[in-house]
Amino acid sequence: MEHEKGSDLRDLLIVLPGCEKLDMCFSCGTCVSRCPIQQKIEPAYNPRRLLKMIALNMQQESFTSITPYLCSACDLCYSACPQEIHISAVLNGVKKLAMQAGFSTPLKTARVDALTCVGCGFCEKVCPYQAITVKETNVPLRGKNLLIAEVDGAKCMACGTCSSICRSNSIELQDRENSEEVVQDLWSWLETVEMGAEK
Amino acid sequence: MVDAARHPKIDVRTYTNVERVEGYVGNFKVQLREKARHVLADRCNGCGECSKACPIEVPNYFEMNLAPRKAAYVPMSQSVPLRYTIDEEACIHCYKCVDACGALEAIDFSQEDKVVWEDIGSIVVATGFNHFDPSVIPEYGYGRYPNVITAMEMERLNNSAGPTTGNLIRPSDQKNPQRLAIINCVGSRDKRFNPWCSNFCCMYAIKNAVLLKQMNPELEISIYYMDIRTPSKGYEEFYDRARSMGIRFIQGRPSLITEDPQTKNLFVHSEDVVLGKISELEYDMVMLNQAAVPQPDVDTVSSVLNITQSPGGWFMEYHPKLRPVDSPTDGIFLAGACQGLKDIPSSVSSGLATASRAGRILHSDEWEIEPIIAQVWEDRCVMAQGKVCGVCSRACPYGAIVIEEGKAASVTVAKCHGCGGCVAECPHNAITQMHFTDAQVLAQMRALLADRPEEKIFAFRCHWCSYGGADLAGTSHFDYSANERGIRVMCSARMDPDFIYEAFRLGAGAVLYSGCHPQDCHYITGQRVGATRADRLQKLFEKLEMTSGRFRIEWISAAEGDKYSRVINEMQKVIDNIPHDQLMAEIERLRPEMEKRARRMYETPGVDKALVYSDEMVQAITAKEVKSGA
Repeated sequence: MEHEKGSDLRDLLIVLPGCEKLDMCFSCGTCVSRCPIQQKIEPAYNPRRLLKMIALNMQQESFTSITPYLCSACDLCYSACPQEIHISAVLNGVKKLAMQAGFSTPLKTARVDALTCVGCGFCEKVCPYQAITVKETNVPLRGKNLLIAEVDGAKCMACGTCSSICRSNSIELQDRENSEEVVQDLWSWLETVEMGAEK
Repeated sequence: MVDAARHPKIDVRTYTNVERVEGYVGNFKVQLREKARHVLADRCNGCGECSKACPIEVPNYFEMNLAPRKAAYVPMSQSVPLRYTIDEEACIHCYKCVDACGALEAIDFSQEDKVVWEDIGSIVVATGFNHFDPSVIPEYGYGRYPNVITAMEMERLNNSAGPTTGNLIRPSDQKNPQRLAIINCVGSRDKRFNPWCSNFCCMYAIKNAVLLKQMNPELEISIYYMDIRTPSKGYEEFYDRARSMGIRFIQGRPSLITEDPQTKNLFVHSEDVVLGKISELEYDMVMLNQAAVPQPDVDTVSSVLNITQSPGGWFMEYHPKLRPVDSPTDGIFLAGACQGLKDIPSSVSSGLATASRAGRILHSDEWEIEPIIAQVWEDRCVMAQGKVCGVCSRACPYGAIVIEEGKAASVTVAKCHGCGGCVAECPHNAITQMHFTDAQVLAQMRALLADRPEEKIFAFRCHWCSYGGADLAGTSHFDYSANERGIRVMCSARMDPDFIYEAFRLGAGAVLYSGCHPQDCHYITGQRVGATRADRLQKLFEKLEMTSGRFRIEWISAAEGDKYSRVINEMQKVIDNIPHDQLMAEIERLRPEMEKRARRMYETPGVDKALVYSDEMVQAITAKEVKSGA
């Protein structure tokens, strides 16, 4: 089977930091049994099978698998893995590639209500995954260059720490809305209309 | 063992340490320390009265500390020789044993360690292996949970001569377990501890399971495994038999063992890999089948015997396929697991092989060695003039060169394997190698570079690897440049910097410095000596602004014929890419520097004759070229 070198899922992943030992997995199952997720949350969760799917270049199946999204990167499996594979880094890599390929997380992610956020930065400090940054943003109906928290959907692991610390109830775990893009489009359309009117 | 002890020609020395080994094949001198037993070996009849009288009890290491022994003891009843020993550390000097011994008067507290020297012809190392301590893996709870035991503890518990006379009980409540889990690969195939597969544990787990099942058919046994490895004769059939006896095999490496604090029962958490589901099963007892690891004192043994280790701490064999029981030092042999993990049949074969290899030396009055050895020109060695040097002795992987202040270095011929590292390293050209003298190599170089040297790629190849690689390239008909001219030396360690300078002085277009891969060197560390030197040369040529690629270092094994042809072709391209007049100008520019650096080579004995001879050759070659050209 001829294919373009470097296009395999495995080739894309192995260059990412932490994924170097990806090929070393011999399917012992230590990671799965060390992890609380399969038993307590989701029976379909199985990092061992995901590693196997990566080795077999099953891209579609890997991207639609629930496994990369459920991992909270606690790294219990990393310390137990006899082959020293940094499994959470691999899962995170798959998630990133999936996002790039246009797949979206089937889970909730933290979402900021820009109308109430005061930009105190508590959530940025507590986020264990560095998914939140406070940035200067233009908020419609509120003003320009306001400090508002912003969530990187690819990094967010939906732990909820941010919403528990937020004083203004502005950040919460929510389902990913498809309407987001629509709203975004609407605002950009309005802006062009305004600009046209000014002219 | 008993037979060996009774044999008139076998002298068994127990409780004795080897402290120093000097000499060489057939003529070793070994210093032994016979430790004080405080019991006279010739008087003790092994009756055991002293042990009965002794009031001190300490854990018996032979029983994996599951049973006590006295301070006056033999580790087990079948000990050879059956002579009691008084453990000095445990003894309280009550002398009850002296009274018990009575008229035999075998106990002597004034005894001290005895140091003796013995003449030895050949040495066999059979130091075996040790067991991995699973208490360093916290998730398995060994040491915290009483019912988690190791394979060796299980061995004692189900042995009819063991502390429980073969009755399998669990340590927490002395009841017979009904459910037993065996966990394989504890500490082996694990990059955090030991990366290797311990070879025999799969079969060991199956054997134990079958044995226990035969004794107690009610016992439920589960074996947790990653892969079951049964490669030898009859092993797979034995595995089949175990399955048909109802022993359960669960594929999956347990990640955690937890304990019920009331019942002291254990829960083994693992993924059943086949089902993709986590299982959490309850057992009365868990046996950890721990990894086999090298003995803790391998470094001491290595330094006493001057033998090297492979990665992990197993002793290195001379050649992994062709000379598996010889150590790199002549006259020292390796038997059993100290060389690499073996099960019983392989250990026995290795022992028999070792015995015959060692016997060859003992049965011969003379011992033939390779004629390719190093020889010192005493008048050129600066040590003889009272200066401090010793470079040769440091380069020798075999410790064959003896240096003494005020005396010329001397080569212990029987220890020399002829790599030539010392010859190339000697800064005064005071050592030569028989059959590969500087004069001989020089003559070859002059002849091969006689005609249009700037077009030639001059290759130095080591005898064992790159020469084989070049040979393979030829026999496999891999295309490579016809401008290649190669000569053989024994090792990359022999590739004297003088040779490289001389090759460039003679006007060679490019020079290849090739040898074995670092781990395959046939002279232990020879390649390392050569590689360090080659890197030094590379840096020098960079400083001299030589076109990069004209001097190339490549490690090519005998199986890499394709690599050899590729390297030569790439070097040909390097020469082709330099315009001819520019190449000639560079050769001319570097010639004085090379001449200065290679000058010592011309001082060595025999070179004058070689020059005359090679001049004739050069003339003959040029005459022929002219003739064919005309």
